Amino acid sequence: MPHFSNSVKLKYVKLGYQYLVNHILTLTLIPVMAGVLIEVLRLGPAEIVNLWNSLHFDLVQILCSCFFIIFVATVYFMSKPRSIYLVDYACYKPPVTCRVPFATFMEHSRLNLSNNPKSVEFQMRILERSGLGEETCLPPAIHYIPPTPTMEAARGEAEIVIFSAMDSLFKKTGLKPKDIDILIVNCSLFSPTPSLSAMVINKYKLRSNIKSFNLSGMGCSAGLISIDLARDLLQVHPNSNAVVVSTEIITPNYYQGKERAMLLPNCLFRMGGAAILLSNRRSERRRAKYRLVHVVRTHKGADDKAYRCVFEEEDKEGNVGISLSKDLMAIAGEALKSNITTIGPLVLPASEQLLFLLTLIGRKIFNPKWKPYIPDFKQAFEHFCIHAGGRAVIDELQKNLQLSAEHVEASRMTLHRFGNTSSSSLWYEMSYIEAKGRMKKGDRVWQIAFGSGFKCNSAVWKCNRTIKTPKDGPWADCIHRYPVHIPEVVKL
Amino acid sequence: MVPPQQDHDLVYNLRLSSVGPGCVTGSDVVHDLSGLDLTMKLHYLKAVYFFSSHAVEGLTIMNMKEAMFYLLNDYYITCGRIKRSESSGRPYIKCNDCGIRFVEGVCDETVDEWLETDDDSKRNLLVYHRAIGPELSFSPLVYLQVTQFKCGGISLGLSWAHILGDAFSVSNFINNWGQHMAMVNVNSSPALAPRSLTNTAKPEAPSEPLSAKQVNHVGDLWVLANNCKMETFSFNLTTQHLSNLQAKIGSVSAFDSICALLWRAIAKVREGFEPQIVTVCRKDPCHDDNNVLGNNQIIRTIKASFLVGESDLNKLATLIANDQGQVCDERNRIEAAVEKDNGSTDYIVYGSNLTFVNLENAGLYELELNGEKPKLAYYSIQGVGDEGAVLILPLPHGSAAENEGEPRYLVNLTLPEGQVFKLKAELKRASLL
Repeated sequence: MPHFSNSVKLKYVKLGYQYLVNHILTLTLIPVMAGVLIEVLRLGPAEIVNLWNSLHFDLVQILCSCFFIIFVATVYFMSKPRSIYLVDYACYKPPVTCRVPFATFMEHSRLNLSNNPKSVEFQMRILERSGLGEETCLPPAIHYIPPTPTMEAARGEAEIVIFSAMDSLFKKTGLKPKDIDILIVNCSLFSPTPSLSAMVINKYKLRSNIKSFNLSGMGCSAGLISIDLARDLLQVHPNSNAVVVSTEIITPNYYQGKERAMLLPNCLFRMGGAAILLSNRRSERRRAKYRLVHVVRTHKGADDKAYRCVFEEEDKEGNVGISLSKDLMAIAGEALKSNITTIGPLVLPASEQLLFLLTLIGRKIFNPKWKPYIPDFKQAFEHFCIHAGGRAVIDELQKNLQLSAEHVEASRMTLHRFGNTSSSSLWYEMSYIEAKGRMKKGDRVWQIAFGSGFKCNSAVWKCNRTIKTPKDGPWADCIHRYPVHIPEVVKL
Repeated sequence: MVPPQQDHDLVYNLRLSSVGPGCVTGSDVVHDLSGLDLTMKLHYLKAVYFFSSHAVEGLTIMNMKEAMFYLLNDYYITCGRIKRSESSGRPYIKCNDCGIRFVEGVCDETVDEWLETDDDSKRNLLVYHRAIGPELSFSPLVYLQVTQFKCGGISLGLSWAHILGDAFSVSNFINNWGQHMAMVNVNSSPALAPRSLTNTAKPEAPSEPLSAKQVNHVGDLWVLANNCKMETFSFNLTTQHLSNLQAKIGSVSAFDSICALLWRAIAKVREGFEPQIVTVCRKDPCHDDNNVLGNNQIIRTIKASFLVGESDLNKLATLIANDQGQVCDERNRIEAAVEKDNGSTDYIVYGSNLTFVNLENAGLYELELNGEKPKLAYYSIQGVGDEGAVLILPLPHGSAAENEGEPRYLVNLTLPEGQVFKLKAELKRASLL
């Protein structure tokens, strides 16, 4: 009993402290204003007029003051960064013909790696604990025994994924292809010539003076890098629309060898893609879904271990695959710490920042053994979209940021339904939150993605209007089944 | 003149993939195998359908796979894998959506060229067949091979494990797929899920079935070991042949008269070791709808108390036709015998006695692609016991039915190699070949 009442008391103390610190300005301003009001009332109107006359203002001085005020206001408004709005986005939903149940994946694995039962066994154990469900999808070329990853098949996959997402985006937003001013496509592992952005321009007959960019090789966090690039461009070009396409093309990158460190991506990476419309036009202010508040990028590439932890290379037999090192989780933790150190001051309320500062000072000066204070990010954000890189990543972040099961539900369910779709997974997660009807006006969303390099990128969005449960979208036909309980180990 | 070297086989470029249900079946869904299903575990059905280029105009392999995904939502049992129960070792099907194996192949002949020189060993190239086992949980139960011919026509080769269902179920499966093909670009309405009928074994005095024979344990490799090499051949029966038969034999159905003719011919070939008992399998008229998956065919035994080889055709035909009594329907007896030791004994049905299978009302030509029926639908059995099996299949005939040379039935026989030559001679004598 005393334990419980203690913890309740502590909770109230904490709440009181937070309220005090976060509203300190209001709390100090109110007594001051009350004081001024009382003084004014005491003096009476005649006294105030006398006070005014004694200041000896003449016309020139008043005019100059006015101009000065107007000048300062203009400079302020001109130098303010433009607001970037996310008008809408569309996620690609693969057809049922691409579905890969566990049993099929394992059977194909046994047939493809018939001389390496240990590798097959390894893949089975990974799959059992992966957190993926039975509806994730792989592209048609990978369904063959053995897979037939030709360049034509890879282009085919890119066309299906990107064009479907873009058609869906056009339908949702009413955007005309001619109105796209900036186009950014990011796809890490498939980079043909002409580029995927050129492919989009060709298909939709976009304008000849379009500013197009194609980002490749930047890993699973490339989606947020594209958003960052779009934001910077939209600062320079007024009244513009930017379309960002995030995808990962699986066909050419399916590892065909037997090294265990390289087989892991085969078990996790699945087909997916998203197209996002960003705009700085004031006319979009009403109907935009979100406003971009911050983008924070952290790169740990200077550290050799971080640089090598996700590495594409050839194995002894000449098969190309992505090798994941054993320190991946530790490095991800480091990158995350770096990122939140930067983003913390931008988003945390004053109460949390003060506590963090005090603990930091205390650790430096008084006693290094004090536990470092982990700021409570739940106060800064209503929703979290953690890149669904794998079960381990989500577990690690949930632990580090002390998030509840509901906070990470979007990430876990996206991993279950769609697998690791790389840079587009954040958009499937946003879509999940919207589909559940949880996105209200003013809600703040934190998107975190990790990627090879090693990078940790975050984006903070603020919801612009309460979003009604969408009737279409990748979750439309299955949202009623979610959330599902995902067992630790699935019996295959 | 040396013929030009073939740098590849007749059917080449085989590409394997899997096709499963579009919707998740769910975890821990199992399908129990009845005793009757287990007796059929060493038999496999092979079906080949030939289509002209006109029938598949505008249809791609992707269309066929897509239609199959929708079909398998209902036929999810065919996508499962065999597992053994932990307590008793009795096989059952775990419906884990693993899928059927889809094989794509290419052939340099045209459909017509192929049909001219068609024979059993050649036809095997059009049906990708693997027996179940030795790893039961990684053996597909159904294989579908689509071979593209030079003229643009195709063949569909289906290899089907008989534990799933009889030839009538196979025909239903393929016909339902054809319906999905027609709807593939339209929002398809869900077809009825196939009903798997459970045979309720009537509590009879357990007497050994005559139509099912025990064989040595096969363990986890479900292949029948014959004591002699089996050979399959087929021939057509024309309108002329039928009217000749009709003249000799009175008012019995075509099937019964063909059975009588072949029974006597085989008896003559095997003189001294005549088959006194034959098994006849035909469709159960009670299960006449198009959505049944399972081993539901009627299995009857017919015993002749006289010498068959020298008997009168009329007498034999009447024996076959009149023997419709319930008492000879062996299904319950087979079920009871298998259940006695919970499925641990292995049996065979086809070839335990000389077996005749009537596929007349199997709906073989109900399959349509682009509104066109197949040029030929051919079924055979893989894994026939030493006594042999005969399949009677209808052939499509239009208004040319009255033409005397028009083929009406296809008879497919699987017999021990040594007997085939003598039988062919016998049939020539009867002016059937």
